[in-house]
Amino acid sequence: MKISYNWLQQYFDKPLPKAHDLAELINSHVFEIESVIEMKSEWRKAQTDTVFDVKVLPDRAHYALCHKGVAREVRAITGMEMKNIANVKITVGEAIKPVEVKVTESKLCRRYIARRISGVNVTDSPAWLREKLEAIDARSINTIVDATNYIMFDIGQPLHAFDAAKVKGVITVRLAKKGEKIELLDARVLELNETDLVIADDEGPLAIAGVKGGRRAEISATTKDIILESANFNPVSVRRTSTRLNIRNDSSKRFENEIIPELAEEAMSRVTALIIKLSQEANIGTIKVSATTDIFSTPTKPWTVSVTSDFISEKLGANITNADFQDILKRYDCVVKGVSDITPPLDRLDLKIPEDFVDEVARVNGYEALEAILPAELPAKAASQIHDDVTFYWSEKVKNTLVGLGFSEALLYSLVQKGFYEITYPLASDKSSLRESIVPKMNDTLTTNALNADLLGLDIIKMFEIGKVFPKEGEKTVLCIGVKNVKKSKKKEPEILKEVLAELKKTLGVELTPEKITDNVTEIDLGSLFSKMKAGLIDDLHFQALPRDQKYHPFSPYPFITRDIAVFVPENVLGDGVWNSVKQGIQEAGAEGLLVRGALFDVFKKEGKVSYAYRLVFQSYEKTLTDTEVNTIMEKVYQEIREKDWEVR
Amino acid sequence: MLPTYLFEYMKFWHFFATLTRMENKVSQQTESGHLHPITSVIREITTIFNKIGFSVAQGPELEDEFHNFDALNVPPDHPARDMQDTFWVETGAKRKAQGAEKLVLRTHTSSVQIRFMESLAKKQQPFKIIIPGKVYRNEATDATHEAQFFQIEGLYVAEKVNMAELKGTLENFFKEFLGPEAKIRFRASFFGFVEPGVEVDVWYKGRWMEMFGAGLVHPSVFEAAGWDSKKWQGFAFGGGVDRLVLLRYGIDDIRHLYSGDLRLINQF
Repeated sequence: MKISYNWLQQYFDKPLPKAHDLAELINSHVFEIESVIEMKSEWRKAQTDTVFDVKVLPDRAHYALCHKGVAREVRAITGMEMKNIANVKITVGEAIKPVEVKVTESKLCRRYIARRISGVNVTDSPAWLREKLEAIDARSINTIVDATNYIMFDIGQPLHAFDAAKVKGVITVRLAKKGEKIELLDARVLELNETDLVIADDEGPLAIAGVKGGRRAEISATTKDIILESANFNPVSVRRTSTRLNIRNDSSKRFENEIIPELAEEAMSRVTALIIKLSQEANIGTIKVSATTDIFSTPTKPWTVSVTSDFISEKLGANITNADFQDILKRYDCVVKGVSDITPPLDRLDLKIPEDFVDEVARVNGYEALEAILPAELPAKAASQIHDDVTFYWSEKVKNTLVGLGFSEALLYSLVQKGFYEITYPLASDKSSLRESIVPKMNDTLTTNALNADLLGLDIIKMFEIGKVFPKEGEKTVLCIGVKNVKKSKKKEPEILKEVLAELKKTLGVELTPEKITDNVTEIDLGSLFSKMKAGLIDDLHFQALPRDQKYHPFSPYPFITRDIAVFVPENVLGDGVWNSVKQGIQEAGAEGLLVRGALFDVFKKEGKVSYAYRLVFQSYEKTLTDTEVNTIMEKVYQEIREKDWEVR
Repeated sequence: MLPTYLFEYMKFWHFFATLTRMENKVSQQTESGHLHPITSVIREITTIFNKIGFSVAQGPELEDEFHNFDALNVPPDHPARDMQDTFWVETGAKRKAQGAEKLVLRTHTSSVQIRFMESLAKKQQPFKIIIPGKVYRNEATDATHEAQFFQIEGLYVAEKVNMAELKGTLENFFKEFLGPEAKIRFRASFFGFVEPGVEVDVWYKGRWMEMFGAGLVHPSVFEAAGWDSKKWQGFAFGGGVDRLVLLRYGIDDIRHLYSGDLRLINQF
């Protein structure tokens, strides 16, 4: 969530650390700061505020998804005193009728507070409020809506305001009836079902509880009387409804993460005070405020956790004294009775078991203070009971054999177009099922790599993958081997496959039974073989250390062009000289950067002469080369050869 | 006349003399094939951990909800599940109608923590395991995100285990893997199955990079796997192998790793 530096400062008398220092503190001790944005005023060009994009994770979202929550964390890690922003006393107008409320689902609505305010004037918000909201990317709408949003971003309680004139009869918090409809602010009409909690009046739903307000009682420019709602809705119910309707917003997010019902009261008095203040600032005469209607079925019960500083020390592997621990607990407003009975603040739902307190201490102390030590060796008896995974061991063994035979390893997509197991919400139609076999993708891969054979300098494409497939009978580990002759070869593909299987038999010591076999691709169920075998030691697999400085060279996305050249030379001329002349020609054409591969592929002697045949592959990183461009290069090469009185065949 | 052996020699010599840009990267005409860089990196990681007593464990990619979420202390209907973009799997209309247990493509190798502990629940003894494996996330793909990728996960269980040991283990790993200049730091974070939970940043080539998540095994994870949480403690850590591969070799696009393209694979 976006957190404004100026807004945070409201919680402290003393100046906070400078914005960037504070961001670093929060980032290393509390929450990840995803970005720091400097706000500049339009006309002064001066910096007016700094906004942090704070990543509040789900475990702490119930208290920290607001400025006050982040301020509390700042207080804990800096030890700065936090201002107590006390509840404002609201003067209630006797003549104003309180709101009539009925809650039929007290499990789903643990608290509902409503208040009527009459005589409001709905206008644009004053500059200070607009700036505050806009700094954190919230759109300013009007005084009433802005006041409710401001309090939500300040203390974390979502609020809602209805146009009182549009509400007919009693406000009822109930489940929707089957087929009941609600029109939203954006004029969309949604059909509700019996699991959706709604706020309704005698005529029907006014709002989807905690998720979205309806259009019927929307605040408009002509609204004079309003009903404010500060309520607590069940996290699971809000989450289900918002997921089903695909409506996610600041309100649903906070309810989903569970906030405590006690917060609703503070929010109601804060928002009322703000609305009074805004109307005073706008000089619109007095507004009248009713008493609240508060239906509060389920207060949060305080709980106690027993934790000692010894326990924390043991978990961290650091020495935390009791005095340090007590100081940290105080910074988090935890009350300690006796030696170790800790009562956390009611809204710290994340502090339930002793382990939860380890984090609080580490956050304040900083993890950088931790020593780094290696754990002890396992006791010999325990170690002897643990074996390396048999599938891993033998898969790696098979990989060694295959690489030794000239096969390269692919890792292909497990998600394909068709298969027995289907993805419920696929990303794309060609990735909507789990593969039942590797064979189809292997065929594709052989084909695409064959197109690059010259570039790769290969006459034969040999590949394999060991991976999981998911046929109807369930997941299993298979080996898929593919061979494709690019050039004419004496050895046919089935013969190569046969030889490979014979080698694998030596490696594994068992006969392999290929399940799927075509002329050039085979697939073997390794999993069932391995299940009868035992793993050896990882050491025996001879994993080679990787060179630390090896770097990948990006390949060109443009097509390449191949040219063969054969040169007849007298036999006293060494091959070196021939190749140098070829390169010389290319250099003279200014094309040495385009030659991505050059290799001798044939040598033979005839009648006192030797023929050297080279395959030259040209490719640009910038563009598609044309035949004409390559012909010009080759012309230079021929010229160079002819100058030496050699013969180009 | 040149003797034949000299021709052979010259062929060999030519191969090296013909060094061009490409030649430097793709060795050809050697008989040997190439391991995928992910395999090479997994081998290096397992070797480093093997040296300090970690054994390799593995588990299924098609998981049930219990092992992927529930047992790892990620409650149903909780926003924490949004942190994992899950591929739910079904087998057509029949399965849905029967209301059978929901299947997922595992979103992390952490499910293997549970499976391994379950397999030892009767013995309940100390162990150290390292878990390499393929995982899946239902998110849009781009140069740095793939729907499938590899993770490596570590788990150490004993009667007393602490955060300093976790730090030592990871520092040892990153120094061995990236070089002695690599440094690590912990940042407070949250993963349901550990408490406390931290992000592990690694200082490499002048900047901090988020590499792993880690923490002390949450007592409810022990309970879910049938272990006595009062008696046993543990640390766990995990992170993406692909990121390590990209970092190590300077590969610019994660999608190249799964295309089967020998222009990449044969460089390694």
